[in-house]
Amino acid sequence: MTAAAGPLLLVEGLTTEFATRGGLVRAVDDVSLRVEAGECLGVVGESGSGKSMTFLSVMGLVRPPGRVSARRLMFDGTDVLALDEAGKRALRGRDIAITMQDALTALNPAFTVATQITEVLIAHNRAASMGEARIKAEEMMRLVGIPAAASRLDDYPHQFSGGMRQRIMIATALACRPRLLIADEPTTALDVTIQAQVLDLIADLRRELGMSVVLITHDLGVVAEHADRVMVMYAGQVVEDGPTATIIDRPAHPYTRGLIDCMPNLETLDRPVHPIPGQVPSPLDLPPHCRFFDRCERAGPQCRVPVALLPLSPDHGVRCIRAEGAAHG
Amino acid sequence: MRIGRLIERIAGLVPVLLGVSVIVFLMITLTPGDPVEIMLGDSRSSPEQEAALRRDMGLDRPMVERFFLFLGNAVRGEFGLSFFHRRPVIDVIGERLPATIELTLVALVLSLVIAIPLGVLAAVKKNTWFDRIGTVGSLLGVSMPGFWFGILLILLFSVKLGWLPVAGRIGFSAEVPFVTGMLLIDTLLAGRLDSFVEAARHILLPALTLALPMAAILMRVTRSSMLEVLRADYVLFAEAKGLSRARVIGRHALKNALIPTVTVAALETGSLLGGNMIVETVFGWPGLGRLVVEAIFSRNYPIVQAAVLLYAVTYVLLNFIADLLYTALNPRIKL
Repeated sequence: MTAAAGPLLLVEGLTTEFATRGGLVRAVDDVSLRVEAGECLGVVGESGSGKSMTFLSVMGLVRPPGRVSARRLMFDGTDVLALDEAGKRALRGRDIAITMQDALTALNPAFTVATQITEVLIAHNRAASMGEARIKAEEMMRLVGIPAAASRLDDYPHQFSGGMRQRIMIATALACRPRLLIADEPTTALDVTIQAQVLDLIADLRRELGMSVVLITHDLGVVAEHADRVMVMYAGQVVEDGPTATIIDRPAHPYTRGLIDCMPNLETLDRPVHPIPGQVPSPLDLPPHCRFFDRCERAGPQCRVPVALLPLSPDHGVRCIRAEGAAHG
Repeated sequence: MRIGRLIERIAGLVPVLLGVSVIVFLMITLTPGDPVEIMLGDSRSSPEQEAALRRDMGLDRPMVERFFLFLGNAVRGEFGLSFFHRRPVIDVIGERLPATIELTLVALVLSLVIAIPLGVLAAVKKNTWFDRIGTVGSLLGVSMPGFWFGILLILLFSVKLGWLPVAGRIGFSAEVPFVTGMLLIDTLLAGRLDSFVEAARHILLPALTLALPMAAILMRVTRSSMLEVLRADYVLFAEAKGLSRARVIGRHALKNALIPTVTVAALETGSLLGGNMIVETVFGWPGLGRLVVEAIFSRNYPIVQAAVLLYAVTYVLLNFIADLLYTALNPRIKL
C-alpha cells in the first residue's frame, strides 16, 4: 500500500437512503469529511443523527434496502468507489476496522474468542497457520490488557466481564493493525469506572500502532479529552466541524452550544444543565429549511431557507446562517 | 460440557420415563374389553377355566402390583408373547425395528440436506423469486398427505419411468448377513456394493416421502431463525472484519440459527418414528410401523403396548439429544 499525500480517509457527498413504507429516509445527507493519518476525529450527535450510519456507509456495511452514494470516497489514495466487492472486503478488518457499541452483541456467542480473533488474521493472510494465528491472537489479548490471556483464548464471550468483552472486541478489530479504527460509542454500554479505562486503552493503542481513530459518541466530554477535531451531526447532516478546542470554546452552531450546555460539569454543578427543548425531526418529515429550526432559541424568519455548511475559517465550518463570520450564500 | 451434569440430566430422564410407563400401563389396563374374554373367544368356557386363565395371566392381582410387575418386565425387555406370532414380543419388534430406524435416519438426513441450504438461501434472498417459490413449495410440502405423495412418487418413478422399485427393502437375490439390521450398513460391512445400491434404490422413495414434508417445515424454521440472526450485531461485526460472505453466513449466522431447527428436527423425528405407519404400508416397508398397524387390526395387544412404550421412550430420548446439541451450538446454554 502506497502512502499517498493527503488525508487517510476522504469522503465527499456521502448520502445514505432507505426506502421505507413511509417514504424515502435520508439517514446520511451529503456528508463530507476527512481523517488525517494519526488523527482522532470525534463525531458527536444524538441517537439517529446519522453518525454511525455515516461510517457503516464508508465501510460498505449498509444492507438493502439501504442505498449509499458518494461523489468521492478515498482511503489512503485508493478510490474505494472503484473497488469491487472483494477489494472492499480486503479493506475491511485489515485497513479499516470498527468496534461496536455493545461487545456482548457484537461478539458471536457461539464461538470462542480465539476463533473470532484468529479468523480475521487468517482472512487477511496475516497468519500462515492456525498456530501462528493463535500466538498473534494471544498477543492482541495481552496488548488490550486481558489478564492470563493464554488461558482465556478458548473461553466464550459470555465468560468475560463487560469491560473485558469490550477489550476483546477491540483486540479483534485491531488484530490486523488497521490504519483506521472506527470506535462506535465504545463506552456507552460500560460502567463509568470502566469507560475511562477503555478510552485510555484506545488512545494508547492509537499512539502505539500509529493509527487514526474516529470516535463516535454522544458525549462531548469524551470528545474534548480525546479528539483532535470534532464533527457535529444533526438529522443526517454535518452542522459544525472544526478543531476540538474551537468547537468546545467557541461553538458557532446553536445545536453544538446546546450540547455543551447540557453537559454536566463538576465545576458548575450548582448551575442547572440546559437540555435542548423539543426533539429531532422525523427523518420522514424533514423541514425544507434549517433542520434545527424548531428547537433553536435564535431562530428567526430568515432561517426558513435551506442552509449549507459554510466556512467560518479555513478549518471551521458551520451550518447556520446566523453564525457570526459565516459567509452568507 | 461436564460429565457430572450429563449424568444428572440422564438421571432426570428417569421420572419422565416412569410417568410414560404409568400412562402406557393405564391405557392398556383401562381400555374397554377383557383380555381373558378375548383370549377365550367364543368358546364355551366355565367360570373356573376363566378364573384359572385370569390367575395364570396375573390379572387377579391388584392393579398396583400388576403395574410393578409390568415395569419390572419392561425394564428386562419382556413384554410377553405376541398373540399372532407366538414368539416373544421383543423378538418380533427387534426384527422390524432396524428397518424403521434406517428409514427414519435416511429421511432425517435427506430432509436436513434439503431444508438447511434452502432455508438459508431463502433468508439471504428474502423477498426474491427464489424465496417466494420456496414459500409456496414448503406450503405444498406441509399440506400434502404423506400417503398420497408416496403414491405419486411410485407412479412417476417406479411405474412410469421404471427407475426405482415399487416396494420392499431389497431384491430377493441379495443375501446379506444380519449385523445391525440396517441394510445400508450391513451391505457395506459385507462389502457388497451391488446390494448396497439395491438397498439404496429401495429406500429412496419411502425416505423421500417422509423427508419432504419434514424438510418443508425445517426450511421454514431455518429461514425465519436465519432472518433473525442475520440482523444481529455479530453478523455485522463479522462482515466488518472482512470475512467472506460464505463464512459470515455459513458459520457466524448459521450456527446460531440452527437451534430452532434442531428442536423441530428432534420433534419431527419422533413423530416420524411413530408416524411412518402409513408410508411403510404404502411402500411395503417391513418396519415397526407396519407391524403396529397389523397388530392393531388383529388386536395383538402385547405388540401394541410394547410399541407405544418404545415410541414414547424414543421421543424422550430424541429431546434429550436435542438438548445436548443446543449446548454444542450455543455454549451459553447450560445442560
